[in-house]
Parts: sequence; structure tokens; C-alpha cells
Amino acid sequence: MTAKTDRPNPRHVSLAQMILDIALERGIEPGERLAEQALASMCNVSRTPIRKALKLLADNDLVTADADGGFVLTADPSSTPRLDDAVKIANDQQINSAILRDLTAGRISATQTVASLQRRYGVSRQAIQNGLTKLAEQNLAERASGQQWLLNQFAVSREAIAKSYEFRLATEPLALTLPDFHRDLTALASLRQMMQALRVMNEATFDRNMFERTDFEFHMMVAKGCGNPFMVEALTNHHRMRRETHGGSKVGTFRLMQSNIDHIQILEQIETGRMELAADLMRVHIQMSQSHRPKLAGRGVPPTFKIA
Amino acid sequence: MPASKVIVLFPEASYGAALNCVGIAQELRRNGAQPVFICHPGFSGVFAEYGFAEYQLAGEIAGAPTDWNEFIESHKHAFRQSPMEQLQSYVAPTWNAIVDTAIRAEEPLSKLLARLKPDAIVLDNVVMFPAIANAGVPWVRVVSCAETEIPDPNVPPYLSGCQSGHPAGWRAFESAYEKAVAPAHKRFAAFVADTGLKAPQAPGFLDPSPWLNLLLAPEIIRHERAIALDPETFVFLDGCVRKEAPYTPPRFASNNDDPLVLTSFGSLGAIDVDMMQRMIAVFADLPGRFLINAGNWRDAYQHVPDNVFIDSWFPQPSVVEQSSLFIHHGGNNSFCEALYFGVPSLIMPYCWDGHDNATRAVETGVGKTLDRYSWSDADLAQSIRSLLSDEAMRQRLKANAAIMQNAAGTSRAAVEILKLTETASGQARASA
Repeated sequence: MTAKTDRPNPRHVSLAQMILDIALERGIEPGERLAEQALASMCNVSRTPIRKALKLLADNDLVTADADGGFVLTADPSSTPRLDDAVKIANDQQINSAILRDLTAGRISATQTVASLQRRYGVSRQAIQNGLTKLAEQNLAERASGQQWLLNQFAVSREAIAKSYEFRLATEPLALTLPDFHRDLTALASLRQMMQALRVMNEATFDRNMFERTDFEFHMMVAKGCGNPFMVEALTNHHRMRRETHGGSKVGTFRLMQSNIDHIQILEQIETGRMELAADLMRVHIQMSQSHRPKLAGRGVPPTFKIA
Repeated sequence: MPASKVIVLFPEASYGAALNCVGIAQELRRNGAQPVFICHPGFSGVFAEYGFAEYQLAGEIAGAPTDWNEFIESHKHAFRQSPMEQLQSYVAPTWNAIVDTAIRAEEPLSKLLARLKPDAIVLDNVVMFPAIANAGVPWVRVVSCAETEIPDPNVPPYLSGCQSGHPAGWRAFESAYEKAVAPAHKRFAAFVADTGLKAPQAPGFLDPSPWLNLLLAPEIIRHERAIALDPETFVFLDGCVRKEAPYTPPRFASNNDDPLVLTSFGSLGAIDVDMMQRMIAVFADLPGRFLINAGNWRDAYQHVPDNVFIDSWFPQPSVVEQSSLFIHHGGNNSFCEALYFGVPSLIMPYCWDGHDNATRAVETGVGKTLDRYSWSDADLAQSIRSLLSDEAMRQRLKANAAIMQNAAGTSRAAVEILKLTETASGQARASA
């Protein structure tokens, strides 16, 4: 299964543009068939990449599949913006996500240069610089000596997840009890609506994506409402970083449903101004959200380990 | 309205048995029963994530904590050996540890069962706990290991990895096994006798339940037994797969159109990072997207290829369902999940019934096996390529998957367990 959001392979993009250029040069009109074998010969490649390039053109509504499994040109190549420009803009927006994803997956090391990232992602120097700047704003990258950048390896490690819970346990309940906490009643009402919608779902129908959005907005509401600019900055940055680095939740749906109920209970206390109680519930909620699964289990495996 | 039946589930402290029981418990809950879990010390948190009450066995964990690195080193060595060699290095020490567990659990388990007052107890383990037999309610044995756990003259010896149909070759293993486990069995028999029960005959540590025994083995891999199992008390579930969170594969840096391949050797099998890195180097050049369960060692991997994604946990059923190949250790839960979703297995066993399942997968044409260590890059690549392209095997597995899914093993298990709590004969036998 391929994710719909896949970044197009730069080679396929360039090949797709080459097909449009050929169509333009040879005067191929919309409605005419594009022969795979002929295109492969003209581009000096095999049919497989040509098929992928045609698929990319189809995704951009420039060609369409015909009944015989081939492709027909549907747009006038002379009036079509260059494909590689459009993809470049998309890449600019996605590059910081790609860097982070590859760092998390262990595909790239923490120390990088703009040139090395440019080679990897096949995009402009400016796009890489923009991406790194965005990561730096989230404390996920910083300039190192010379031309180097240092990516925040810790943020994507397993230990970071445990440390994140520790940080949140120390700060989020506190945020709720700060003297200038401001209750944004409109935001609270909107959150409650989403939470109630989730509450009526069962384990089979529970919308995990909707939960993740609600979860983020709920914790951001607490962060932004606390009334202390330093706390706002620390918590909002942390939640954004958490969303970028920790990926989707892997816990079971049942726990997410319980978590939604936790959120509702905290929200109810905030609405009625019982902030100490809201803080206590937040403390319980954060502790309950941590995974307590054993790290190693099996027949004959001792129940406790001394970590050397 | 009658009170819902309280069903205590007591799986051993391993993920296979635990998650197998989660599947049954989900169906028990759906049927209006109240399933609760008893956990061994140190093994909790798994069931709560699925919304079940957990009761941890009280009492201190005996002995000093084990040195993590020492444990890994000794096991890594044992995992390189043949099933026969492992009898001394792994199987006998493991049985000793299991017997220790049963002895330590007896008193707290007895107290906990008295407090919970269950209507039935589900035991998914390889050893008997006298407190369960003495609880005065029906108990169910779940055989979540390979079918070889229930012996028969036609079935190769448990843990041997021997082939079917060649009984002459089985005797040497049987004899060595009996000798290896004898000290543990002697201790176990004395302990069971102290509780007023008759111990299982050596080398067995757990007799079938007189009420109900649930086996996972689907028909496609089942053995032809010389002595048929009593259908009144032995029920084959044809798999027992829990409902798990849906999984969306991550975007890979390349190969996003290629088939998905899951590699998971369980939390214990993940300890050998070097071996896994050898495999990853082979994956890098293959047309596939490779998901790897690295357990606790996720952060140990660097320079990961673009078509590989490593994580510490996957909601396995959902991932297997989307995979074209499952590379695993032959753990029975993994093997059954592969069959349940019609996915071929490449089994690289390292211990226990993984050896039996690896042999059986080849015998029944549902996968291949490779020695965990003595393979060349070309061997591994060829095994993967051939399994990915074996259309005949895929069709056969898909047809079998439809049969297994239709059998709804978890639902069948729940129904059979609840039936047991309702029948007068069950109660009569409980008091017999």
C-alpha cells in the first residue's frame, strides 16, 4: 500500500517533464495516445520508469488511462506549467518533514550539511535551508561549526518519549493552576463538541485521527491559556515537537477512548473553574498515558533486569 | 439481570500467550462476560491497554535482578545451537525457571482466586499451577504453542524441530529431552504432590484440562494423529487473533510501491542486533518495504536503508494483514497470524516451538525456513524473492485465510468457555 502523500521521485518527475517536452516537440495533441515503448526509446530508459512517469502525469490530470491499459494525453503541453517547478514548491514545504522522518528512522546521521541534504533530497539549496530553519525554530536542529548543522537526535529517541512524559507531568498540571490562567470558552466549547463526538464511538468505529487532533488541541489549549508567556512558549514548543517526532500513537484504541474520557473530565473542571482538581486529573491522565508494557518477555526471561 | 460471568485469564509472561488471551478476552467481553487478567510479577501493563482489569500476583520477585547484558550474551550463544544442543543450554534452564515461577505463584495465586471467585479460569501456559486445579471451578487450557505440545505417536517430539513421518529419528531427541528436564520435573512433582494433586507424568508439566482444551493450530498445518483428540474436550480454534489498532505503514524514503515485509522475532529474538543488521544489509537491495520490530533495541540501529523502517512495537495483526511476507521466529502466535491473513512465512527459529513450526511450515507448503545464523546474503535474498513471487502458495494461503477467518477462533473460544460455565455437567465435573 502506498501512502497518497508520497513525494514524487525526482527522476520520475524529470521523466514526466521529458514526456511533455516530447509531446510538445512532436505536436502530439490532447486525445492522442502516448506509446510507452516509443517513449522509452526516446528517453533511453526501460518501460518501467516510463510507466511511473505516466502515472505521475495521470495524478496531475495531464494524461488519462485508456481502456487498453495505455495512456492518452489530455492537456496541451504548451499551456502546462513545468512539472518540476510544481514539485519543487511541494518539496520545499515537505523537506523539513522528510529530514525529520529520515532522522527518526535512522537513515541519516545527526550531523549534516546543506550540500549533503541537497544531494539526498534532490532539491534546491534554498529549500534545504528553509527546512533546516523551520526545524531550528522547533529546537530540532541547530547550526554547528563551519557548514554543518546538528539535528536533534535525542528528540527522536525512545528515551525522549519517557522524558517528555516526565516534563509534561511537571509542567501541565502546574500550567492549569497558574494565577493568570485564561479560560477561552469558545475553544472549550469547540473541544467539548469534538470530544463528545468521539465519546459516542465504539472500539470499532473510533476515529483515531480525530482523537489525535483533539488531543493536540486540548493540550495546546492548556498551554496557551496558562497566562505565563514562558510557560506558554515551553509547552507549545514541546507539544509541536512531540507531534512532529513521536508519530501516531501505537497504543490500543481502548486506551485512546479512555484518554478521551480523561480529557472530558479535565475539561469539565476547567469550565467550572476548579483548577486544582483539573490539575490532579491531568496528573493522573499523563501517568496513565505512558506505556507500561514490559520491554522483554518470554519463557524463562527473568522478570527484572539490572541494566548495566 | 444475572451477574456477568467472571472469567480469569492467566497467560504466561510472554507476549504470544498474553496477546492470544487478549483476543479471547475481547470476545468474552463482547459476550457480556467479565474477563480479568492475572499477571506474573513484572508482566503487567499489556492488558490494561486493551481495557482489561489486571491483578498482579502479590509478593516480591525472588532473587537479585539479572544482569541484562549477561542474559543477552548467554542467550545469544544458545540461540545459535541446534534443538538437541539447546536441551542443556536453554530448554532445561527454562523449565527450571518455569517451575520456580509455578512454586512462587502458588500461594498468591490461591489467595487471588479465592478473592476473585471466578466462574472459570483460562490458563495459557506450559506448566500446571495447583491453585488452579484446586480452585473448584472449571479450568481451560489454551495450547498457544505448536500442536506438538500435545504428544501423540504420530507427532514429532515437542521442541525437536523433527520432521513428521520419521519416528525412528525422534527417539534420540525424546530420550535426551527426558534426561535434560528430569531434575526440573522431580522438583515440580514434589511441589505438586505437596498440594495434594497428582503430578503430570514425566516429562510433562501440564496435563490436558478435563473440561476444555483450546488449540490454535489451523487445519492446514495440523498433524494426522494416531490417537484422535476427544472433540468434547479438545477444540481447534483455527487461529486466535486479537482485534488490534489499525496500522498505517510509514512513508519510506524509497520503494513505496513495493510489497510490505514484516520482520519480527519477538522481544527476546530482538536481542541480537548484529544478526538483524546483517539482514538489513540484504533488505537494502531487495524490492520491498521492510518493517522491523527491534523491540527494546530500536535506538541501536544507524545507517538504516531507505526501504527499511525500524520500530520497537507494531500492532502486529494489522501489519501482517497488509504484508506480503512475514519473517519471524516461528512463535506460534506469529505463525498463526501469518496463516490467518494468508501471508507466507519465512521462519528463522531460535528456540522452543519455533523449531517445530519452521519444519511444519515447509512440510505443509505455507512457507520456508532458514537457519537463524548460517545463511548467506544470497540465501536470504533468494528465500524472500521466491516467497514474494510464489503465486500458487499465495492463492492457497488466501483460500486458507478465508477458512480461518470464517472459523472466528476467538469467538469460538469465548462461546466454549461460557458454555462451560453454564453446563451442569461442567459444575459436576468441577466438584468431582
